[in-house]
Amino acid sequence: MFKSYSGQFLSWFASSLTIAACLGIIIYVFVMGYKSLNLNFIFTEPNPTQDESMVGGISTPIAGTLLLTAIGTLLAFPWALGTAIYLSEYAKKNIITQLFRLGIDVLAGVPTIVIAIFGVAIFSNPFFGFLSSKVEVEGVSKVFGKSFFVAGITMAIMILPFVIKTCEEAIKSVPDSYREGSLAMGASKWYTIIKIVIPSASNGIIAAIVLGMGRIIGDTAIVVLTLGATIRMTGLQPWWTPDNWISTLQNTGSTLTTYIYHMSPAGYGNMPEKAFGASLVLIVVIILLNLMTDFLVSNKKITKED
Amino acid sequence: MDIVNNQKMLTASRSEKNRVRLSQVRDRICEAGVLVLTAISALIIVFIFLFILNRAWEIFKVNGLGFILNKGFDQQLSNAYYASAESPQWIFGALGLLIGTLTTTLGALIIAIPMGLGTAIVITELAPSWMKTFLQSVVRLLASIPSIVFGLLGLMIIVPFILNNFVNVDMQIKYINFFQLTGHSMLAGVIVLSIMITPIIIALSVDAINAVPKKFKEASLALGLSHWRTIVKVILPAAKSGIIAGIILGTGRAIGEAIALSMVSGGVGNIPNPAHGPVFFLTPVLTLASAIVNKSEAMSTPTIEAALFACGVVLLITSTTLSLLTKIVEIIVKRGEGIE
Repeated sequence: MFKSYSGQFLSWFASSLTIAACLGIIIYVFVMGYKSLNLNFIFTEPNPTQDESMVGGISTPIAGTLLLTAIGTLLAFPWALGTAIYLSEYAKKNIITQLFRLGIDVLAGVPTIVIAIFGVAIFSNPFFGFLSSKVEVEGVSKVFGKSFFVAGITMAIMILPFVIKTCEEAIKSVPDSYREGSLAMGASKWYTIIKIVIPSASNGIIAAIVLGMGRIIGDTAIVVLTLGATIRMTGLQPWWTPDNWISTLQNTGSTLTTYIYHMSPAGYGNMPEKAFGASLVLIVVIILLNLMTDFLVSNKKITKED
Repeated sequence: MDIVNNQKMLTASRSEKNRVRLSQVRDRICEAGVLVLTAISALIIVFIFLFILNRAWEIFKVNGLGFILNKGFDQQLSNAYYASAESPQWIFGALGLLIGTLTTTLGALIIAIPMGLGTAIVITELAPSWMKTFLQSVVRLLASIPSIVFGLLGLMIIVPFILNNFVNVDMQIKYINFFQLTGHSMLAGVIVLSIMITPIIIALSVDAINAVPKKFKEASLALGLSHWRTIVKVILPAAKSGIIAGIILGTGRAIGEAIALSMVSGGVGNIPNPAHGPVFFLTPVLTLASAIVNKSEAMSTPTIEAALFACGVVLLITSTTLSLLTKIVEIIVKRGEGIE
C-alpha cells in the first residue's frame, strides 16, 4: 500500500516539475523580455556595437528567420510530399522500400550540428559557388560557402525526414474507400492521388509544413555554421529592394536564434535584455505555430468522423 | 450522313484512346518522379557519411583510433592553430570531448527518465481528462522551445545559481591548477539537457502507453490488482518498446545538442575526475557537438577543420547506431511478445 502511494506521489511530483519548468521558462522570458519589447525594437536594424543606445533592434534577424523559413519550406515541401506519396501509395513491401525507410529514419536521428557541417562541406565546393560569395585570390577562387541559399538548403535537408513522416501519416489516414471510389470511376492512380487523396489529407499535410517551419525557426546550429551569423545583412545595401534580392540571398545575415546567441553573455554583444526581447518574439512565434498545429489536427478528426 | 457519323465516332474513340494512353504515360512519369525523390531522400544520409568522412579522413589516417582514445584536445587545437603552414599539426585526441558527451548525456538521462515516465503515467492513467489535454499541450510546448532559449536561460539562471551556491573561493583556489570554477559546468549542462529531453521521453511514452490494448488493463483490474500495480506490472511492460524508443531518441538529442551546451557547459575539454569529490560535477566540460560550434571560428585552419569533421564522424556513427538500435529493440520486443 505504501509503495503504491509513494509511486503515485512521485509521478505527480514529476509531472508538476515538468509543468513548472515549462511555465517557468515562458513566464521568465515574458517578464525579462517585456521591457525591451516595443515597436522600435522590432522595426530597427541591429548594429554590432557595445553602445546600448546604438545597438538597435531585430528587424534583420526577423527578416532572416522569414527568408530561411521560406527557402527551407519551399524546398523541403514538394520533395517531402513526393517521397510521402511514393512511400504510402506506390511502394511495395520489399527490401528496397525497407532500405529507403531506413535511410530516412537514420537521417531523422542525425544531430543538426552534423547536418550543418555537411552543408559546410558541400557548399564550400567551387561548383556551388553561385549560391554564396566567391573570392578570387591570385587565380585561385575560394568559395565562402555561407549564405541564405546555403543555409536554406541545409535546413530543407534537416526538416525533410520529419515532414516526410508527418505527410505520410496524413496520407495513410485517408480511408481506402476514397481511393477505391475514385479508381472505380475510371480515374487513373495519379489523378486519384492528386485530386482525392492529397486534398483529403490536406490538414495533416499543412500540419507537417508548420512542424517543419517550427524546426527551422528554432534551429541555431545550422545558422551559426552555414549562414555566418553576422548581425547585419551583408549583401548590397539596401538589402530589401527587389534589385538586390539575389545579392541578399547570396550573402550572410542573422536569424532570431543567432541574434539571441550574439546578445547572450556567450556571444560578443552581451546585452541579455535584448536577447530576452528576441527570445520573447521567438517563443510567441513558436506558441502560435503550436496552436496552429493543434487547430489543424483537431479539425482533421472532425472530417474523419463524417 | 451515316458516313459522317461513323467518322465522328471513329475520331472520338481514337482521341479517347489517345487520352487514356496519355494519362497512362503521365502516370508512369509521375510514379518515376516520386520514386526518384524518395531515392534522393534516402541517399542523403549516404552523402552525409561520404562528405564528412572525406573531410575528416586525414585525422583518422594520422591518429587512427587514437582520436577517441587520447586526450588533450584543447592544447592540440591551439598547437594546430599556431602551427606554420609547412608543418601542420594533425595530432588530435578527443577523449575529453567523448567523456564530456557521455557524462552530460548520462546525467541528463538519470534525471529525465524518471521525470518523463512519471509524467507520462500521470497523463495517461492518473490525471482527470481535462487535465490530460492541458498537460499534453504543455509537454508539446516544452518540446518545441528552441534550444537557444534553453541555453540563454541556463546561462542567466542556472550558471549563476551554481556559482553562488556550490562554488566558494577556497574551492576555486584549490582547483585553479586544473580548471576555473565559474559555474559553467557539467552540472549546468546536465540540468539544461534533462529539461530538453524530458518532453521527448514523455511524448513517446504517452503514445506507447495509449497503444496498450484496453483489455490488458481490464483483465488485470478484474483479477483484483490495484490500479497502481496494474500500471507497474501490466501497462508499463506492455509499452516497453515505445518507452525504450523514447529514451533512445532522447539520448540522441542529448548527444547531438550543440548550442545550449556550448553556452552553459564551459567550453574546455576537461575529463571530470571522480577523485575530486563533488567538484566532479562542477568540472567545465566540452561535448563533441558543442566543440564544433565553439571552435567553428578556427575552421579556416585545415587541420582544425578536419578535427571538427572527425568529431562529426563520431557523432554520425553514434546517431546511426542509436537509430538502428531503436529498430532492433522494436523487433526483439515484438518477437518476445509473439506479436506479428
